[in-house]
Amino acid sequence: MSKANKIKIDSKGMELSKGDIAFNIVNYTVFALITLACVFPFYYLFINTISDNELVRLGQIQLYPRGIHFQNYVEVLKIPGIVDALFVSVARTVLGTVWTVGGSAILGYLVTKQEMWLRKVWYRLIVITMYFSAGLIPWYMNLRMLGFMDNFWVYVIPGLVSPYNVILVKTFIEGLPPALEESATLDGAGYMRVFFSVIMPLITPILATLCIFSAVGQWNAFTDTMMLMPSGKYYTLQFLLYKYQNEASSLAALVRNTQDSSSLANVATKQTALSVRMTVAMVATFPILLVYPFFQRYFVKGIMIGAVKG
Amino acid sequence: MKKRFGLLIIALAVIASLFLPGLSIYVHSQLGAETAALFPASVSTWQMAVHGVNCLPVDAVSALGVISFSGWLALGAALLLACSAVLSLSANRKLNGVGVVLAGISLALAVTFAIQIGNISSSLLFKLMFTAQAWIYVPVAGAIVALVYEALLLRGTKEERAHLSLSGQRPPLLPENTWRLLMGAAALAAIVCMLLPVYSISVPATLTDDPADAAAINRSTSLISAALGERDMLNSYKADGRFSNVISGDIGQLAPYSGDETNIKGIFQIPQQSGTQKPDTMLIVAAALLALTAVLSFLRKADKWFPTSLATLAAISLVVSLVNVLTMSDADMYTGVSRQILHLGLGTLMPFAALAAIAAAFSMVCGVLCIRAADAPYFVNPIPKRSQLRLVAVVLAVLSVACILLPGANLSFYNPGKNKVGATRTLSGLQALSLSAPESISHPASDKGKTLYGETEKEGVMNAGQVEDAMNGLTRTFGLLTWAALALTAAGIVAVLMGRRKAAIALFLGAFALRALSWIMLMTGMPGALGTAGGTLYLYISLPLLLFAAFFANNANEETLPKKYKLFLMMLPFLVAVFLFAYLPLYGWSYAFFNYKFGIPLNQQEFVGLKWFTEMFTNPANRENIVRVLKNTFGMSGLNLLTSWMPMIFAVFLNEINNTRFKKSVQIFTTLPNFISWALVFSFAMCMFAMDTGIFSKFMLGIGAIKEPVVWLNSSSHIWLKMWAWSTWKGLGWGAIMYLAAISGIPVELYEAARVDGANRWHQMRYITLPSLLPTFFVLLMLSISNILNNGMEQYLVFQNPMNKQTIEVLDLYVYNITIASGGTTLYSFATAIGILKTIVSVTLLFSANFVSKKLRGESIV
Repeated sequence: MSKANKIKIDSKGMELSKGDIAFNIVNYTVFALITLACVFPFYYLFINTISDNELVRLGQIQLYPRGIHFQNYVEVLKIPGIVDALFVSVARTVLGTVWTVGGSAILGYLVTKQEMWLRKVWYRLIVITMYFSAGLIPWYMNLRMLGFMDNFWVYVIPGLVSPYNVILVKTFIEGLPPALEESATLDGAGYMRVFFSVIMPLITPILATLCIFSAVGQWNAFTDTMMLMPSGKYYTLQFLLYKYQNEASSLAALVRNTQDSSSLANVATKQTALSVRMTVAMVATFPILLVYPFFQRYFVKGIMIGAVKG
Repeated sequence: MKKRFGLLIIALAVIASLFLPGLSIYVHSQLGAETAALFPASVSTWQMAVHGVNCLPVDAVSALGVISFSGWLALGAALLLACSAVLSLSANRKLNGVGVVLAGISLALAVTFAIQIGNISSSLLFKLMFTAQAWIYVPVAGAIVALVYEALLLRGTKEERAHLSLSGQRPPLLPENTWRLLMGAAALAAIVCMLLPVYSISVPATLTDDPADAAAINRSTSLISAALGERDMLNSYKADGRFSNVISGDIGQLAPYSGDETNIKGIFQIPQQSGTQKPDTMLIVAAALLALTAVLSFLRKADKWFPTSLATLAAISLVVSLVNVLTMSDADMYTGVSRQILHLGLGTLMPFAALAAIAAAFSMVCGVLCIRAADAPYFVNPIPKRSQLRLVAVVLAVLSVACILLPGANLSFYNPGKNKVGATRTLSGLQALSLSAPESISHPASDKGKTLYGETEKEGVMNAGQVEDAMNGLTRTFGLLTWAALALTAAGIVAVLMGRRKAAIALFLGAFALRALSWIMLMTGMPGALGTAGGTLYLYISLPLLLFAAFFANNANEETLPKKYKLFLMMLPFLVAVFLFAYLPLYGWSYAFFNYKFGIPLNQQEFVGLKWFTEMFTNPANRENIVRVLKNTFGMSGLNLLTSWMPMIFAVFLNEINNTRFKKSVQIFTTLPNFISWALVFSFAMCMFAMDTGIFSKFMLGIGAIKEPVVWLNSSSHIWLKMWAWSTWKGLGWGAIMYLAAISGIPVELYEAARVDGANRWHQMRYITLPSLLPTFFVLLMLSISNILNNGMEQYLVFQNPMNKQTIEVLDLYVYNITIASGGTTLYSFATAIGILKTIVSVTLLFSANFVSKKLRGESIV
């Protein structure tokens, strides 16, 4: 609102002083540079994955791609474990998001119910967990004791209650007019009925925001895989990426194994440890880049609600 | 009425099954074709009943004559079932009731017959000759179906019930007093059955050297005398040498047919038990309970729930003992001579054990019906206070949950190669929930602490690895069933509270069935070579508790729960999750006070008090590390804190850009880095800052800032600054969003008024925008101060390498590096101690920040 008004005022003929013009030039330039700094790495990585691998190895690809080919992507998907890891990543993102957001939505609704037995006690018990943690070892031993080692569900199940999300949903629901719910209750709807047919449609904006955060968090997580999957089952894409960066030698061997003899002849498309790393990184980035434009508009809303505390 | 003919058909089918092969003869090729030719292909139940052992080729193989079995049981079962079916045709409910009793007796006979034939055909002697056929179980199944069906008939058809419910209270089948007397009578009948013989051993006079010895062995034993330990009185006979010549006697003739002569000898390796055989407490308890039931039921004024409960317990213990006393497997080779002899078919089973169990069950049912028929309130009688019954059902179910979690399995391990129990261990439901066997049963040690099972493999003796596998398998089965029983019981409690009567009954009965199943799985899951397994008292107690929970739930009213509890119940799963994943780990803090070693239960760990806490400061090596790590933590957190104003300034200046499209794009693209993982950030860093190929090196070389390629990533120089730069790159745009949102909330009028007063752009930024953002900045600053120790580990983990480890290791990363990453567990306690101190400091900082915030701004931040 303020911006629209200000543009109007400015364009109305508020004279721009020389100082203003200089300020604008500097300001625009600085922001353009910052933006460039944020975007360039993505671009740089991308052109390196589609360029001639020999030129990449020599460091010749800097600002624009040369010798474009997509063999890297084809080859990377042939590395054993990559497709599985992609599947695990997608599965944990989808299931984990649905589980966390669904749980937060229901729990956020339940804690708004004043008539619940000892409501305040339970609510505080949940919120307080935001401020302390038992520490790495107790957390690890606890999950171990509960049988979550090498278990896919460790990505999903522990996320049921996330206090921060619960607070967001609760605050949002408290901002809704209570009359809506009352009328539904008068019509004989039970709590769950009210939740699914009255509350749910109204809180979709906040749920969308939570979905984004949860999905991005799930997609990007790799330390849990690192600690809880010692046997190598259920590796995620991000973890493979992390692993590849640390294990250059084994990666090179991996690459050699997946090469077929025909592509060995062609230096331009021959896989190197570097090209594999970069390509896997790109594969892990694409989903984010793909959905980013769609979820971008939910940020501000979510952040603003987050600023209002429960 | 049409439906009632169904039972007649069942009875006819049962009778027909008598003529089908009950025992199929299967002569193992090992015994040779000649022997095979001597035997008929199969023997029908009818033949067994009419001709007895003569249905087998006794003329050819005279040794078979020693076998005896009571085939009349099958005939009796079929006959009683037929009578019962005929009675059920009548519309007279009392006659129907008699039909139920007959069906029950028929069941007892059929079960005894099936057990006996099953035993003989599975015994070591005859394993290679006979196989029991499914047909011998048809009378059992028929009797069960008839029992259930006729019991349902007693309730009347649907139309009858509908009619009766319209006309008000439905008259009970029998008056309360009659039921009461029937309950007592059934209990007495059960006691009488326990006094009657369950098996009689008849050893041919030729079995032993002296016919007098054989005569001395022959006996009939009742359940009671078996319970008192008479089962193994025969032990003494070995000392007298009465069995010395067995192998050369009639049994000896059978040896070739068994295909394994040593096994036959093995059966008669009667163990010299040290001390006396323990009496079977369960049977004694059952007898006592039945006696009490009888007495209580004959007292008119006594509350009927008590005798009914007692009868239930007795019925369950009788069923348990029935299986224990009558069935035999190879595992029983060491547990008693009588059973061995029965195992060989040298005696007949009597139906009285089964009849005792059935009678006890009838006593229980009569008790329940007595209560339902009562018109005056008892002590906890359901009729006047239905609302309280829900509570009773819940309490019973909660108690059964406790019983499910308490030690439920009792495992006896034999000393390998000996017939002696070396160790007895229990397995609790709680332990089994993890689905892997606890140390005490996966590696059982004798009571003197000696390891029972060696690592090396020996023939016929299980080694430690096999024992572990077997115990893990057993625990997994038991644990899964425990999980399922717990889940059903919990769901049942919820259903009772929600007023869903039928669902509650189904759930409790389901939990009951699972408990019974877990008991059966226990007994069958223990390898015979290893020992025996059974339930403990808690397992048996949980059965009637669940049963009664179902009874009470049935009588509870269907009012719904008050709203406040309903909401709480909906919340409960979430609270359980919070407990499991946020509060339960706090239990792990106790590791800090022990010298923690992996795989040993906490109560056996060495307690070291505050050693690990003092170690942090007194041990020079540790102190050095802690100081270094804290320096890194504070250094890098501090850099971020010092520059925490940057997102705010970013927002303020971005706000000054008037081109909406440009502004939007800046916002979108600067936020993007926040959404990629640190692993990806590191990939970018690797590519761009690679020593000679990265664009950064090329650029710096190009402009002449550096003369030769510089190691950017694998060096420890300026690592704090580099880390700061990366976290700023990732977080700047994102951090600004909140400020941008706050700016859009500033009223436009403020700016307009300022402009009217002649404020220029700088003035507006300085005096309007910035002050409106300060509260937000303050809150965020306070929060980041309280998080100064929690700077996470992902960023530092990915950038960590041997070169920069000294300066990049923050507290969280250090804890990870010395424990999980190093693979050793020696420092788990130390790391936990660090974690505890860290949490305490963080919480203190948070509350201090909150206090400051309250003082300065009058608002709390948490």
